[in-house]
Amino acid sequence: MSNFPLRVKEVAVRHESTIRSTAGTIVSVALTLGVIAAILAGLGANPWSAGKGLVSGALGNRFNIGQTVMIASLLILTGLAAAIPFSARLWNIGAEGQMYVGAIAAAGLGLELPASTPRWLLCSILVVASLAGGAVWALVPGVLKATINANEVIVSLMMTFIALELADYAITAIWPQPAAPQTRYLPPHAIFPNIWTGTLVTAGAPLALAGVIVAWLVMRRSGLGFQIRAIGLNPRAARMNGMPVGRVTVLAFVIGGAFAGLAGGINVLGINGALVSGFSGNFGYLGIAVALLARLDPLWILPSAVLFAILRVGSNGLQVQTGLSPDVGEIIVATFVILLLVFRVIRLRYAEAQSA
Amino acid sequence: MPRAANDPGAVSSPRLGAPLGGIELRGITKTFGATVANFDVDFDLRPGEIHALLGENGAGKTTLMSILFGLVAPDEGEILLGGEPVSFASPHDALQRGIGMVHQHFMLVPKFTVAENVVLGSVSPWNMALRRAAIERSVAEASERFGMAIHPRQRIRDLPIDVQQRVEILKLLYRGARALILDEPTSTLGPAQIERLFGILRDLRESGHAVVIVTHKLAEVMQIADRVTVLKGGRKTMTVERGSFDEHSLALAMTGRELQELPPRTQVEEDRPLLEVRNLRTQDRRGHDVVAGVSFTVRAGEILGVAGVEGNGQSELVETLAGVLHPSEGEVLVDGVDVTRAHPSSLHEHGLSAIPEDRQGWGLVLDMSVAENLALAGVPEGRFTRYGLLRRRAIHSQARKLLEQYDVRPPDPDLRVGSLSGGNQQKVVLARELARQPKVLVAAQPTQGLDVGAADYVQRCLLDVRERGGAVLLVSNDLDELLKLSDSLIVLLRGRVNYEAPVAGVSIRTLALAMAGTETAKPVAEVA
Repeated sequence: MSNFPLRVKEVAVRHESTIRSTAGTIVSVALTLGVIAAILAGLGANPWSAGKGLVSGALGNRFNIGQTVMIASLLILTGLAAAIPFSARLWNIGAEGQMYVGAIAAAGLGLELPASTPRWLLCSILVVASLAGGAVWALVPGVLKATINANEVIVSLMMTFIALELADYAITAIWPQPAAPQTRYLPPHAIFPNIWTGTLVTAGAPLALAGVIVAWLVMRRSGLGFQIRAIGLNPRAARMNGMPVGRVTVLAFVIGGAFAGLAGGINVLGINGALVSGFSGNFGYLGIAVALLARLDPLWILPSAVLFAILRVGSNGLQVQTGLSPDVGEIIVATFVILLLVFRVIRLRYAEAQSA
Repeated sequence: MPRAANDPGAVSSPRLGAPLGGIELRGITKTFGATVANFDVDFDLRPGEIHALLGENGAGKTTLMSILFGLVAPDEGEILLGGEPVSFASPHDALQRGIGMVHQHFMLVPKFTVAENVVLGSVSPWNMALRRAAIERSVAEASERFGMAIHPRQRIRDLPIDVQQRVEILKLLYRGARALILDEPTSTLGPAQIERLFGILRDLRESGHAVVIVTHKLAEVMQIADRVTVLKGGRKTMTVERGSFDEHSLALAMTGRELQELPPRTQVEEDRPLLEVRNLRTQDRRGHDVVAGVSFTVRAGEILGVAGVEGNGQSELVETLAGVLHPSEGEVLVDGVDVTRAHPSSLHEHGLSAIPEDRQGWGLVLDMSVAENLALAGVPEGRFTRYGLLRRRAIHSQARKLLEQYDVRPPDPDLRVGSLSGGNQQKVVLARELARQPKVLVAAQPTQGLDVGAADYVQRCLLDVRERGGAVLLVSNDLDELLKLSDSLIVLLRGRVNYEAPVAGVSIRTLALAMAGTETAKPVAEVA
C-alpha cells in the first residue's frame, strides 16, 4: 500500500476521523448540557441563571476559587486512588474508606505527638501517616485478591464500612471535641500553612498536584506502571511473560490506597483542622467518576477533578441563584457522569463499527 | 406435509434455490479508516466451479468476500448478478439471492440441535415447536442429498469441529444458497477431515453450485481449485485457470518474491538432553487428566515435532511447559535443572522460551506498542529499568534492532501491536522470545494463520535455534511442516504419547493413522 494515490487517500481519511472525533466531543458535551438544562427547566428554574449561579458559585471570587481548588485537590487524589488499580483491572471502590483511615492516622498522630516537634517534621510525619493509613487499608483487598482471588470490589467496600465505624469511634470515644461531631482540633503547628491570602487554600493543593506528577511517573515511566498496564490490558500475556501478577496487584492497591489516604490527610491537615464526622461528602466514590472521565490517565485526572469540583462547589451558588434545594446540585453531578459515560460508550461502539 | 403459503422458511422441504447466473464484482474499492483494504478489484464466480481466493494475511480477501455476501458495502464498484447490478443491504439480503458464507469461526448455537441451527432465524419458534418432526425430516433429507451424514437431533456442542463445519454448509444450502464462500475452511481440520470436506465441495461443484475458498495455503489450491484469484496488498494480481498455475507462480503472485528452499540440515544433534519431560500430568478444571503421563526428551540441536488431532492435550502440554498451567504430577527439566511448577520468569532465567498457540491471547498485549511488547518480559526481569524507572531509550533501541532483524513491517516501534498483520504480530513474539537466546524453545502452532512468506520466515528461525545447538519442541497441526522441520516426532492421543519415531521414514499416512489411533486398522486417505 505504498503507492502514491492511496497515500493521499489515507491522509485524507485520517484527517476526516480527527475532525469527526472532535465533532463527536462537541456534540456530546452539547447534548449533556442540553439534558441538564432540561432537568433544571423541569424543576422550574431558569437554566441560564442556574448556569451562571453555578459558575459564579465555583469561580466567582477569590474565596470561591479557593474552595474549588481544595475540593479539586481531594478529588484528584481519590481519582488517582481509583485510576491506578483500575489500570490493572482491579476495581478498588474502597477509596472512601482508605481516605477515612488516612484522616484518622493524621488526626490521631497530630493530637498525640509531643507539641515540641518542629513544624516541618510534624507535618511530614502526618502526611506520611495518612499515606500509610490509606495504603494499609488497601493492602487488605490487594493481598486477598492476590492470594485467594477474593473479589476486590466486595472486600474494598467492606473495608470502607469498617473505616467509617473506626472514624466514628475516634471522634466519639478517643479524641472527642465536646458538643461537636468531630475530634479535638490539632495543634496549630500540625496544620498546613495557608498559601493564598483571602482564601482557605493550603499546602494541601500543591501536594495533590505533586500526586498527579508522581502517579504519572509511576504509570508512564516506571517498570511497575508498565506491568500494571500490561496486566490490565492482558493478564494472561503478562503472566506468560514472567510478570509477578500477585505482587503487582498488591502494589497497585497499595499505591491507590496511599493516594486516598493522602486525601484524608489533606482534609484534616489542610481543610478542617480536625477529623470531622462525615467530612467526605462521598469524595471517595466521586473519585471513581473522576478517574473514568479521565480514562484512567493521571494527567487527565487534573482537569477531570477540577470539573467535578466546580460542579460540587458551584451547586451552592446555584442554590442561592435559583432557590432550588442543594440536592439539585447532586442530581446535576450524577446526570453529568451518567451522560458522559453513555456518550463515551456510544462513541466507542461507533468507532468499533467504523473499523470492523 | 402442506406448506403454508406465507411461510418462506420452507418447513417441509429445503429450497433448491434458483439456478445461479454468474456473479461479478467490478472495480471494488473499500477503505477502513486509514487502511485501504481493496483497491479496484475485479472478481467473478461461475456456477459449477471451485474458485480459490488466495492472498497473504491483510491482502484484502476477507473484505472482498464480506462485500460479496453483503456484510460490508463497497465504497466504489458494483456487484453484478447474472449481468444485473445488485446491492446487498445485509448478509440476509445476499442469502436471498443465493450467496452465503461459512466463517472461520462458526456461527452455531452450541446448545441447539443440528436441525434447530439449520432453520434458526428462518422458522419461527412457534413453527419449530409444532413441526419439529417435519423440520427434522427435511433437514435429514437435505443432509443426505448433499452427502453430509449429519443427524438432525444431535447437539452442536457434541459434534466434532468438522461436522460443525458441515452443519454450517448445510445451513446455507438448506436456505437455498447456490454460491458458498468458505473462509479458511481447513485451518482447524486434520488431513482426513480436509479430504472429506473437499469431497463434499466437489459434489457441490457437480451439482452446479459455485464455491469460493478463501485461503493462503498453496497445497490446497493446487488440490481443489478450478480457478484462482490472487490478491496482494488490496489489489488483484491475477486470475488464472487450472493448468496455467503452479505453486511457484502462485507464491510469486501472492508474495511478490520467490520462495527459497529451506537451508540443508546439518547434523547438529548432541547427546546433551536440554528438555526432559517425565511422566507429566496436567488436569483441567474438572479434574480430568488432559496431559496424562507424557515423557520425552529433546536434545541439543534437535527439533521434536508433536502431532495430534486438536484437543488431545497439545495445548495443555505447551501451557504446562510455559509455566501457566501447573502439572499435578511429573517433572520438567531444562538442561538438567528441575523447573517443574516454576514461575514463567524463572523459566526464562533457566533458558526456556515459549511461543504460545494463541499469540493474541497469551503472547501479546494488543493495546500496547510494538516496543512495549518486545520489552514485556524484559521489564519484570529488570533488564529495562533503572531505579525502578523504565529505560525508554533502551526499550526503543532494542525494538528498532529487533524490528529490523526480524523484518517486521512496518518497522515502527511506536505502533500499536494490534494494528499489525498476523504474520508481523507473530514475528514480534518470535523476536522477543528468540532475542533471549533460549536453550529450549517451545513453539505451538507457530505458523498457524500466517501467509507463505511469514511462515517460511518463522520456520527458518526455528531451524536457526536448532543450528546453534538449542532444543525445539514444535507443536503443529501442519503435518508437512512437522515432517519438514522435525528430527523426531511424537503423536499425542488423549493426552498420551501413542507414537514416537525419528522423522526419517515417517509418512503423512503413518502420522494420520497414529493421530486417529488406528495404527493399522482402517486405511486413511493419503493426503499430499
